[in-house]
Amino acid sequence: MSRRLLAPFVGIVGFLAIWEAVVRLGDVRPFVLRSPSRIVAYLADHFGDYAGAAWVTAQHALLGSLIGLLVALVIGSAMAASAFTEHAIQPVLTLLQVTPFVAYIASVVLWLGSGTRPAVFIVALVSIPAFAFAAVDGMRGADPAARELLASVDASRWEVLWRLRLPSAMPSLFTTARYNVGLALIASYLVEGGNFANQGLGAIGKRAAALNEGDALWGAIFAMAILGTLALLSLSLLQRLAMGWHVSQRTRPA
Amino acid sequence: MDWAILAAAPADRLHTRGTLQHLTALHWSLTSLHSAQMSRIELRDLTKSFGALAVVDALSLDVASGSFVSVIGPSGCGKTTLLRVIAGLEPATSGSITVDGDSPRVARSHKRVAMVPQQPALLPWRTVYENARLLLDVNRGANPPEATEPTPLLHEVGLGDFLDAYPHELSGGMQQRVALVRALTLGAPLLVMDEPFAALDEITRSEMRTLLNRLVEGRGVTVLFVTHSIAEAVALSDRVLVSSPRPSAIVADIDIDLSRPRSTDVEDDLRFVELCASVRHRLHGGMRS
Repeated sequence: MSRRLLAPFVGIVGFLAIWEAVVRLGDVRPFVLRSPSRIVAYLADHFGDYAGAAWVTAQHALLGSLIGLLVALVIGSAMAASAFTEHAIQPVLTLLQVTPFVAYIASVVLWLGSGTRPAVFIVALVSIPAFAFAAVDGMRGADPAARELLASVDASRWEVLWRLRLPSAMPSLFTTARYNVGLALIASYLVEGGNFANQGLGAIGKRAAALNEGDALWGAIFAMAILGTLALLSLSLLQRLAMGWHVSQRTRPA
Repeated sequence: MDWAILAAAPADRLHTRGTLQHLTALHWSLTSLHSAQMSRIELRDLTKSFGALAVVDALSLDVASGSFVSVIGPSGCGKTTLLRVIAGLEPATSGSITVDGDSPRVARSHKRVAMVPQQPALLPWRTVYENARLLLDVNRGANPPEATEPTPLLHEVGLGDFLDAYPHELSGGMQQRVALVRALTLGAPLLVMDEPFAALDEITRSEMRTLLNRLVEGRGVTVLFVTHSIAEAVALSDRVLVSSPRPSAIVADIDIDLSRPRSTDVEDDLRFVELCASVRHRLHGGMRS
């Protein structure tokens, strides 16, 4: 277990050490690339600002993702229930997935106002397609013998959904959540840079870029990386708790 | 009143040891009185086709209440389809079918048919106990009054120490025992079993035969059992129906006059061997025609 915790630590420290070495030995100018030690020192000096901003960004990403997940489950259930619905919704989801949301952030801010609402809205919107596709796949994959069994006692559609289809979709939903974490954080960051609320890591990054403050900008990037790592760790923990029964979560063979 | 029931019970069933078995004997006699009035399953000229393909052709059949009836036949002869029609999961193409006097659709909605599928179909996120409860937990409004808590039954089949275990921690035989308890705990008068032991090894299969005999004897349930195994059919049944290749037709209806309760030793009985031979001959005769 200790080796299991040690390995990622070694990987990250190794990566930062190589970076540090390249900057110092290659004598790279700070405006081209800063050394990690300098960025970490800056972050430590402004810890309160960054922690507060990271908390705002985390809330946007989490709330948006949860709303996106709920909407995706509803859409996914409808798609899994009828081929027509599936074929009707699929292109819309694909459209959502391939269009650059950065381009319409300004429109959403004009529509929903400044602050939290546009951030949560965009995060939810970009989370929906992958979650919905995962939900459909997972529900379709529900054990046919178990479906037949529930049918044999006349279980309602709702019961089949709740007792069988949704739990069957959990593995694919968790896999998708790992991918969506990054997407949600980046979406939060970008909206915070354009929603005139001056809150969140995205606002710090945007201002720093505009004022050419490299240290502040790299501080925001590092804070985002730390936030993402914490989010993925929490997700792993949640997965372990919720899916102890699943093959992927077993440490020893049955 | 009690005396009347005792008097009605066949004499050999009263030679019992304990109170439990005494009660069991009473139950048997009650269900056999019941069976004089109605048969659990009635098929009249039942036909089931998928497009032009006739899977079951003009089948007529009566299954008496409380009896154990096996259908044996070659692969793909429509046995599973027949079970699905009787369980109300598939409509018949023509002919009539009643389960307990009702249509299969009605019987299904009242949870009067308990299925044991070929694969145990346990839900991996539910414990043994929760899996055994599954059929009680859905469509609760229709739970029959005979429905019971699964715990005593789980103890009875030797899973008492595994109530909180997950399916992946169990062997194939243990998983199939959970599936048996899941069906029995529903308290449905009709048990429909589709080759439930087909995926198990021979040693486990033999254990499961003995276990199933013990569980079903004295419970008064009607069992319709589909199998590929001659020994299994003979060891378990009161009646073996030999089915021809598709479209399904009954080519032989063989009474299994082995006494109950049956233990593992029944398979050493000369009569058992004779009955197996008779089923085998009819089975092969049916395949040639």
